[in-house]
Amino acid sequence: MAASKIQALWNHPAGPKTIHFWAPTFKWGISIANVADFSKPPEKISYPQQVAVTCTGLIWSRYSTVVTPKNWNLFSVNVVMAGTGIYQLARKIRHDHFSEVQVPAKE
Amino acid sequence: MAAFKAFWNSPVGPKTTHFWGPVANWGFVVAGLVDMQKPPEMISRNMTAAMCVYSGLFMRFAWMVQPRNYLLLVCHASNESVQLYQFSRWAKAQGYLEKKEPEGQH
Repeated sequence: MAASKIQALWNHPAGPKTIHFWAPTFKWGISIANVADFSKPPEKISYPQQVAVTCTGLIWSRYSTVVTPKNWNLFSVNVVMAGTGIYQLARKIRHDHFSEVQVPAKE
Repeated sequence: MAAFKAFWNSPVGPKTTHFWGPVANWGFVVAGLVDMQKPPEMISRNMTAAMCVYSGLFMRFAWMVQPRNYLLLVCHASNESVQLYQFSRWAKAQGYLEKKEPEGQH
């Protein structure tokens, strides 16, 4: 019984033998990379990149709820991605505009 | 005019998520292009490597998904190129692409 359920999942048209599974699953790698970068100095954060991460995360979070069927895996990965982008942006903005008094931020 | 109407009403056109999702992903390409002008010390090894794998996978996804999504495919092909280039800039700055013994700080 359990074996056949696992088999059903394994052979699913959007299952682990297909790109429909691995591409969205790997998208978590972007968030993981961003979390690893939380410990990097804010001078090294890229505004364009983090804006892109945040915006794609937000847009795709919205769209994953309007496709049929709703894709909660896609939704969650994009929500987290947007979250990491917002956090990195906050770190950099705080560093550039709210801390240093002497040297102005070159960006 | 007819071509525009066909595009506007297309099942993968601007009234659908099949269009705007990929458009959002072009942000990565633009960000990568902008970052090409910056010094390599600012490049994130983790993020750039993740992007290389991510866009490689999504090129395949865009090809296999129904309906086939050429806009997404071109977007990720472009991003793959940009991110691989950025990764090579990072590697070179770290000394990994030297012929002799690399120091490779990171």
